Amino acid sequence: MSSDVRFTDFKSDKQPTWCPGCGDFGTMNGMMKALANTGNDPDNTFVVAGIGCSGKIGTYMHSYALHGVHGRALPVGCGVKIANPDLEVMVAGGDGDGYSIGAGHFVHAVRRNVDMTYVVMDNRIYGLTKGQASPTSREDFETSTSPDGPKQPPVNPLALAHAAGATFIAQSFSSDAQRHAEIVQEAIEHDGFGFVNVFSPCVTFNDVDTYDYFRDSLVDLAETDHDPSDEQQAKEVIMDGETEHMGVIYQDDDSVPFNELHGVTENMAEIPDGAPDGAMDLVREFY
Amino acid sequence: MAEDLNWAIGGEAGDGIDSTGKIFAQAQSRAGRHVFTSKDFASRIRGGYTAYKIRSSTDRVQSVVNRLDVLVALTQRTIDENLDELHDGSVVVYDGERSWEAEIPGDITGVDVPLKSLAEDAGGAIMRNVVALGAVCAIVDFPVEKLDEALEKRFGGKGEKIVENNKTAARKGADYVEEEYDGFDYSLETTDSDYVLLNGDEAIGMGAIAAGCRFYAGYPITPATDVMEYLTGRIDQFGGHVVQAEDELSAINMALGAARAGARSMTATSGPGIDLMTETFGLVATSETPLVICDVMRAGPSTGMPTKQEQGDLNSLLYGGHGEIPRFVIAPTTISECFHKTIEAFNLAEQYQTPVYLVADLSMAVTEQTFAPEEFDMDAVEIDRGKVVDDDSIDQYLDEQDRFQPHYDAADGVSPRAFPGTDGGAHMSTGLEHDELGRRTEDTDERIDQVEKRQRKVETAKQEEDWSYREYGDPDADTLVISWGSNEGAIVEAMDALQSEGTDVRFLSVPYIFPRPDLSEEIEAAERTVVVECNAQGQFADLIEHDVLERVQRVTKFDGVRFDADELADAIRDVVDGSAAADEVTA
Repeated sequence: MSSDVRFTDFKSDKQPTWCPGCGDFGTMNGMMKALANTGNDPDNTFVVAGIGCSGKIGTYMHSYALHGVHGRALPVGCGVKIANPDLEVMVAGGDGDGYSIGAGHFVHAVRRNVDMTYVVMDNRIYGLTKGQASPTSREDFETSTSPDGPKQPPVNPLALAHAAGATFIAQSFSSDAQRHAEIVQEAIEHDGFGFVNVFSPCVTFNDVDTYDYFRDSLVDLAETDHDPSDEQQAKEVIMDGETEHMGVIYQDDDSVPFNELHGVTENMAEIPDGAPDGAMDLVREFY
Repeated sequence: MAEDLNWAIGGEAGDGIDSTGKIFAQAQSRAGRHVFTSKDFASRIRGGYTAYKIRSSTDRVQSVVNRLDVLVALTQRTIDENLDELHDGSVVVYDGERSWEAEIPGDITGVDVPLKSLAEDAGGAIMRNVVALGAVCAIVDFPVEKLDEALEKRFGGKGEKIVENNKTAARKGADYVEEEYDGFDYSLETTDSDYVLLNGDEAIGMGAIAAGCRFYAGYPITPATDVMEYLTGRIDQFGGHVVQAEDELSAINMALGAARAGARSMTATSGPGIDLMTETFGLVATSETPLVICDVMRAGPSTGMPTKQEQGDLNSLLYGGHGEIPRFVIAPTTISECFHKTIEAFNLAEQYQTPVYLVADLSMAVTEQTFAPEEFDMDAVEIDRGKVVDDDSIDQYLDEQDRFQPHYDAADGVSPRAFPGTDGGAHMSTGLEHDELGRRTEDTDERIDQVEKRQRKVETAKQEEDWSYREYGDPDADTLVISWGSNEGAIVEAMDALQSEGTDVRFLSVPYIFPRPDLSEEIEAAERTVVVECNAQGQFADLIEHDVLERVQRVTKFDGVRFDADELADAIRDVVDGSAAADEVTA
């Protein structure tokens, strides 16, 4: 790890094809800043990206990366980190990837508490397929496949994470560059699974959950007396149906990440040229 | 062949049939007898008929037969289920004090042993099956001391008292039979050989550790769970870990992640899990990630018969997944080969950076067989990790802008790997079509280059590796038998029976499904060819027939653009004129 890494070192030479004004630009910049600020460099960083507009992030960042199957980014990230705990692992995807097709993996990745960061670019819409309802779309949000709105309540990702036993829950806003980078940095520094739901507006297909909406309505917990280590306070924020918040909502200071808990500390890539020492004992067991 | 003993214990699931059978198998193995076991079990914790069958001999045994010499019946159904295998001279051990009255046909000897009462005398009713084993020792004239060794292995962890009680229970059974019944016709020969006894799942797990596998992710499923249970705890002693995933979708993606991190990584499942994993299979191949995916087949389709044998997944493994996916499909044909082919699968996966299906089936996976320990020679294990660059050697694979090229269009199709953490190696891998740098592309030339590159790896492997078969019988026989998977042992023993009737066959046992050996000459030389497999459609037979069919010329296109009329006319004209190269025209 070099100490003079700049956040632009995490930028690839591919020009993003996101729509001008897309929230994902800001989300990505914050991730890159947070990675640089925490002393990482592209060669020790592994980014796993989902599918969708947000999934393109793996292409626009420079690091070791895998852009995989829709909804399965979290298991890939778990595999990378468990196999080589020396790597900084960051998983990024959208609300469809994380809370719809990958919802099952989200719950179990939270439970597993692998020391990595999960950034969800939540725009409350399916953008790449040109505007259908997502799991976080509002009940009355009209789209091409839900002309009268989905008529079902949106998923509350924060509550889902909490119910699964999350050790770090945060929410941020892509447009607030400084706060967003700070929040992602806290998720990286957390010993365990750092979950950040990022409001990352879609300027093309979502005319409800807009920059203006979030700017006007979001309450920054850093400007309140919220204590993230207080689970009761966290619950109140998470279940608050009136006000949306940003900042670190909950952090369990006693979190023990997966690798530490299971004593998995070695880089599994390093193996001998032949069978490992002691392998004959395996045969003897069958006498 | 030396005289064999065919023994079974049957009862309800939950009666401890499996562990009792395993103890007796172990005892015979320790007494230098070869053992082959077969389980007939139901997918329930308790209830339903279940049985454990052992064939043993001082010669090697590779199959069960349809004959039972001694049967321990804990239920009437056990007797009824096995009536056709019992013969004049068979002995059935039962407990007359149990609530049912055993109905045993006249020419079969019934041996009534108060299993439960004797077990209680020894310290607890739970040991009644061990009393039965002691009784069996007396019936077949087998040294009860050899049973002691197996009891020590089974119960050693539970303390000396438990072991001693079990030894006492065994003796009570043996003594009872000796006092109450006259001698029987059986006398089990023992030898000084010492064998190891293991099943296919265990052989796969042991092979994985030997091969340097350090990461396993899986979701429990019959009959593959034994692989996961074997590795759990053991792989940790070698710096690895087993993760129980939330489903098979997650399992294969975790294994993929670990492989991207540079670990030798695997998952194992059965047919229903393969269906789910197929989603990610194409990503594994197109991102050029080495991965071993083990399918322990069971009877399908859908939930099918989870605890029954079938070799029905062949087509799914060969053709599963959308698009065209390079892969290797390897199917060991014996339990010891499960060990060796697992190691080979890991080497192939890394040398060619492509997924390898390692295919076993239920009857091999849960069947225990004895082997000389030398068959699992750890000193002979060789690890070939293929092309991997480090901080120093990476330079030769950087482009003019010093960027690492993970999908470098090498002549043999095999590009280098840089494990995360390698300086200057940062790169993207993706399920999208990509250029040499791993970046998304839809450029037609780059698309063609990468498709051909991936395909070329398979061609290189076909040339470089040994895709052979094992041969048995008379090479000049008129009848050629071809088979794959676990049928080998039964076929070899069937050949003995046929030969004694004067029928010679030549048998080719094929462990490679794709790539596979070209058997056209062998088929040509035979008068008739028979393909043996455990499925209804004859999926391997279809492949063998395919291999001997007349070749056609092919016009293909895969750059992402549809055919247009002019180029098709050109392509077909080239074929007609004979100016097209070999059998392939690319439009």
